[in-house]
Amino acid sequence: MRRSLPYPLLALALTCAACDNTITSSEYLPPLQAASLDSTAGGWRMIVLSAPTQFSLAAPAADTSAAYRAELVAIKAAQARLTAAQRSTIAYWSAGGVLRWNEIVRGLVARFNLPPAPRADGTYPVPDPENPFADPQFPFANPPYAARAYSYVAVAQFEALKTAWYWKYQYNRRPPAQVDTGIAALRPLSDLPAYPSEDAVISGVTVELLKVLFPAAVEEITQRAAEQRNAALWSGKAAASDIAAGLALGKAVAAVFVARAGADGMKNAVGNPALWQAFADTATAHGEIPWRSQESPPRPPMLPNFGLLQTWLMTQAEVVTERPPAPPSTSSPQMQQEVAEVRRTVDHLSGTQLAIAYKWNDGAGTYAPPGHWNDIAAEYVRDARMSEVRAARTFALLNMAMHDAAVGCWGVKYLYFNPRPVQLDPNIKTMIGLPNFPAYPSGHSTFSAAAATVLSYVFPQGSSDFEAMKNEASISRLYGGIHYRSDIVRGKEHGARIGGYAVRFAQQDGAN
Amino acid sequence: MRISSVLLLLIGPATLHAQTVDDVMLFPRRALSAGVVYAHEDWSQYWEGTLKRENGNIGTVTTQRVSWMAGYGVTDRLSVMVTVPYVATRASQGPLHGMSGVQDFMLAAKYQILATPLTDRGTLRALVVGAAGIPASNYTPDFQPLSIGLASRQVSGRFTLNFQARDGWFLNGSAGYTWRANVKLDRPAYYTNGQLYLTDEVAMPDVVDYSISAGFQQGRLCIPVSFSQHRTLGGGDIRRQDMPFVSNRMDFGRIDVMVMYRGMSFGTSRIVSGRNVGQATAVTGGLFYTIHF
Repeated sequence: MRRSLPYPLLALALTCAACDNTITSSEYLPPLQAASLDSTAGGWRMIVLSAPTQFSLAAPAADTSAAYRAELVAIKAAQARLTAAQRSTIAYWSAGGVLRWNEIVRGLVARFNLPPAPRADGTYPVPDPENPFADPQFPFANPPYAARAYSYVAVAQFEALKTAWYWKYQYNRRPPAQVDTGIAALRPLSDLPAYPSEDAVISGVTVELLKVLFPAAVEEITQRAAEQRNAALWSGKAAASDIAAGLALGKAVAAVFVARAGADGMKNAVGNPALWQAFADTATAHGEIPWRSQESPPRPPMLPNFGLLQTWLMTQAEVVTERPPAPPSTSSPQMQQEVAEVRRTVDHLSGTQLAIAYKWNDGAGTYAPPGHWNDIAAEYVRDARMSEVRAARTFALLNMAMHDAAVGCWGVKYLYFNPRPVQLDPNIKTMIGLPNFPAYPSGHSTFSAAAATVLSYVFPQGSSDFEAMKNEASISRLYGGIHYRSDIVRGKEHGARIGGYAVRFAQQDGAN
Repeated sequence: MRISSVLLLLIGPATLHAQTVDDVMLFPRRALSAGVVYAHEDWSQYWEGTLKRENGNIGTVTTQRVSWMAGYGVTDRLSVMVTVPYVATRASQGPLHGMSGVQDFMLAAKYQILATPLTDRGTLRALVVGAAGIPASNYTPDFQPLSIGLASRQVSGRFTLNFQARDGWFLNGSAGYTWRANVKLDRPAYYTNGQLYLTDEVAMPDVVDYSISAGFQQGRLCIPVSFSQHRTLGGGDIRRQDMPFVSNRMDFGRIDVMVMYRGMSFGTSRIVSGRNVGQATAVTGGLFYTIHF
């Protein structure tokens, strides 16, 4: 038996060799070398602004002026004493501001996507934008809030960049590293005119919106924005006057969107106890079992008035006409069959199905379903080496569709106030967290169909993958035990119709 | 072949994630001991970071565990042990589904490096233990607190010092370090410890633990009482009203009391302090049989 001695020790040694704790991000972003300058982007169709000339921009000083010469000297001085940290800031932002900010916003959503904890008396406080650092923190970046936040950032960036592109080609000022051979290009430079700096435009427009959307993160947001501008300067890509003009332009565009966000209906989305009761009473009056919170203590339903929010690409009338038909009655044989299917599914779930439920869970504490689709889109944007303005267009199309999908879906959820499977059959247990709002139709399915429709248009080569992901994300809710099949089927149809609005916009915005 | 029963002190009262091997018992040479331990553990209060609270959406979380264990005395100074637990969890309230399955296969080797009389009052002994664990099924670690484990491969090293007095009293001190391998989730991104990670891979911080125990042993009776402290060397706190996460900084202090006689063991334990863990109370019972070749 002595010969058995080495085996356990060998096994220990082998397992130990596997204890490497390094983590590598799967979203690697190389320095951006845009496939095209998109020099005509100043003429692409606007969404909220009237025209790029809505904001005028004074002509820059000549390359030969004393003021500009002084700026070049300052860049040389900065480059002569770059620290390792400054070089890594340059490398980080050289991936492109649109992609980087998209990552940052996903992180902010995940950070703020937590529901308020109950008070001792069983009620729930409402996050207060006037007191964002309190408990509960503001915002609760739940899926509709997240969809709206991603869309504001993306659309504002897109409009600001189209404006910037217009002025860039009005003035055609070269980047410092091309004007002065004494300045190194520390990131890939193209022939894109430098005035106004697109990095500064993005930083200015994004930071102003994020201050409103995620006020408790103001410190981190402003630091990141300053780093982005510094990186543009240190890398020889923009001079101080390019950056100052870009920052001012970005902030001016942001003001339009901040004003819109203040009046888009979000302030009233939470509703009040009388409204919450009215939903239940209406459902009861129609002979249906009304939705009831399954949380303990019962939590008010999530953002009941979100369905009244302003949309990006649909009229209020279109929001209503695109709605799916009513769900099966809670007392119908079809509903009984669908409830039975949910129970059968969760009680006989395969390992693969469980993995799909977790892959697409995107619940509390995550970047939410719209964030998941931004995550998917980011790698396509990177691989297509899109210019900043074209990357912004992609995210704007995607996130306008998902915001409009959230508005459309939430409107239907509160129109029917349909109960979740566990309410109709308490023997059903869920494999993922149960969302605290009515079931019909599935938000995941609506978001995913809208996103897949847009991404299939922008990246036709990926359309079969997007279609498969859409179907997987949608059915994951049945595997999780939180949605009936008809929620999923109708949600996908609804989302695809809403995504069509973004596709039709993109077909004629002048960017093709 | 003579059949008798001995005590297998490998049984720690059930902890979700580790079996401690911090005692000094060794199997006699060429003795094979096998048995089954049942453990029932529940908690209704937990620490969300450092905030102690209850949660109506889970109520009381119960974990039941049936572990098959075996040990063999390779020599009088070297024993090897294996454990395979089956774990089932459930929540008493709320809609969340319980989980069940075979958890982690654990293998340990224990070697006595010193046994020397100390004055004429007793014996001082020192042991080293090496242990390794790998998930024995494809269970998910992404459904805390109802996942059946953390699904991390791990390796641990341990040093134990023991003084056994002639009159039966003993004192034991043990310290261990556990290296834990990264865990893979089924999702492409997660947020923990103040950061969004765009990967399915989670770095698991290592764990240290130490324990002191005292008790009485005479013949086939052994009654140890111990206090152990487990500290995770990193990881984030559970955020306010968030779910726990696999790499959270899980710390706890626990008191264990056991009674072992012949081939039977009974024990109870209680967590007395913690961070990102439930305040669990556990009871265990085990039966072992030994075959001498």
